[in-house]
Amino acid sequence: MDEYAHGFTIDASRCDGCLACMRVCPTQAIRVRDGRVSVRQELCIDCGSCLAACSRGVFAPTTRTLEDFDDYAFRVAIPSPVLYGQFPLDVKPQHIAQGLLAVGFDAVWDYGVDTRLVAQAIVDYVDGWQGPRPLISIACACVVRLMQVSYPRMLDQAIRVSPPREVAGREVKRRYAQELGLAPERIAAIYITPCEARTISILQPAEGGSSSLDGAIGIPQLYNRVLEAAREAAGEAPRDDAREPVRSSIMLRWSTRRPLADLLEHRRYLAVTGLPNIIQVFDDIEKGKLRDIDFLEANACWGGCCNGNLTVDNVYVSQAKLQMLMSGLPDTDPETEAEVARRYPEGDFGIQRPFLPRERVVVGDLRERVRRLKEAGEIAAALPGYDCGLCGAPSCATLAHDVAAGEAARGDCVFLGRDRLERLRGGVGGRRRDRR
Amino acid sequence: MAEELLGCCYRVHGRDYDTGGEKSTEIKSILTSLDLDPAIVRRAVVVAFEAEMNVVMYADEGALTLTITDEDITLEMEDTGPGIPDIALAMQEGWSTATDEMRERGFGFGMGLPNIRRNSDEFEIASEVGRGTVVLSRIRLDGDG
Repeated sequence: MDEYAHGFTIDASRCDGCLACMRVCPTQAIRVRDGRVSVRQELCIDCGSCLAACSRGVFAPTTRTLEDFDDYAFRVAIPSPVLYGQFPLDVKPQHIAQGLLAVGFDAVWDYGVDTRLVAQAIVDYVDGWQGPRPLISIACACVVRLMQVSYPRMLDQAIRVSPPREVAGREVKRRYAQELGLAPERIAAIYITPCEARTISILQPAEGGSSSLDGAIGIPQLYNRVLEAAREAAGEAPRDDAREPVRSSIMLRWSTRRPLADLLEHRRYLAVTGLPNIIQVFDDIEKGKLRDIDFLEANACWGGCCNGNLTVDNVYVSQAKLQMLMSGLPDTDPETEAEVARRYPEGDFGIQRPFLPRERVVVGDLRERVRRLKEAGEIAAALPGYDCGLCGAPSCATLAHDVAAGEAARGDCVFLGRDRLERLRGGVGGRRRDRR
Repeated sequence: MAEELLGCCYRVHGRDYDTGGEKSTEIKSILTSLDLDPAIVRRAVVVAFEAEMNVVMYADEGALTLTITDEDITLEMEDTGPGIPDIALAMQEGWSTATDEMRERGFGFGMGLPNIRRNSDEFEIASEVGRGTVVLSRIRLDGDG
């Protein structure tokens, strides 16, 4: 089986067995055995819930720093629109762009045009679609992985249109290679990301192949330095090379809760945020409900990308700031429309490779699997049903399955194992409180 | 006749919109944990859900039986209720006796029975007016999906 790269690293030696990550994992991928955490890589969808839950730094996002891109001749920042809502109100987008140049980027990319192109490609795809509905957005890297792990049959409905950041990455390379006479591989297209799931979508795209982007830097990595430089810039005359980085509201709209609402308003459009809500909606779709919806936008973080785990400001505050920014900007502008008209006919916005289900390890023939399921049922019936998690599995049902699969013992349950509580209290195989 | 490996039975209550659909979620969970082909699982879930909602909307009580052999999955729904006077008509796509309230809930588009048949490798239906309806759907495990 493939090794799955994830957008974080795990340092189990820092784990004190507190169970917080295990309790929040939406795919039950985490177990805490002998006081140490382990993650079933094939079930992880990179939602980042464990990162947020852990207070001991066991999980660390694997974003990079600007210095990692020192070998490139030209470094282009492609900031997620979320970035523009992360700063105090008096720090305007052009100051933020100047801040990015000051910390070492050679250019800042406005991907309003790319966003507009992708929006158009989505509208055309939706209108031409003959297959089962709804089509589902792939903009959220975590949602795509959720489908691959838990809703494999729905992958047919994942829209095969590249997200704006990928289209932007291609255009950045093409444009600057031409302008500067450099080989495209000498130009770094660097996404400034609000979440670690996007990092993984660049390291290892869900559909396979490779990303047009060279890497991602998390907003917190750059925040203090950019803020300082942006504040300085706010007091100075604008630099010649710092053109207005956000010309129209289209790009900013992409980071709101209902990104495509305006464009798809005459179609049936539904936007959902928050993994538990998405799971509920996906369950309905799987049963054949919601067939009359044309396009579903699902973002794993409550309230959308402004709530990503690599953001700095409060989700509501940053959304309010983006709304204010948007209200002062035109929906689009002549330059953007001219670019869209030029690039759309010759552009290729499709994703060639299909999204495939995450491979599952199937152990034993059906007879054996039924036997394990029945055994798990019998074991579960003997468990207390409190889902306390002290056994190291997130619920009684998961412990029962683990026992039936030979990966855990009935005695791991504090109600069934005679010395289990004693061991937890003593810290052997339990929480190492002395390390606090 | 293939040997039965697993059998489960669920009760479905008429007009229980609140929990209607939960049995098909349980069935999905069983089929998924058996690592069956996702295409087969999805077909079975659609069949179970449509059968379940038919009982919720039109019947008084239903018993949904899931049987798994090493060759196929069988879902059989037996209900007590008004029955279907004209089965040929009920099998037509878009034909429905749903009330406005059912339609407002997103059901009653006349796709239920046709959907069950479309997702089945074998399909049987029998009904007696004033007594109830039996719907049987069989999905082969070696099917394509």
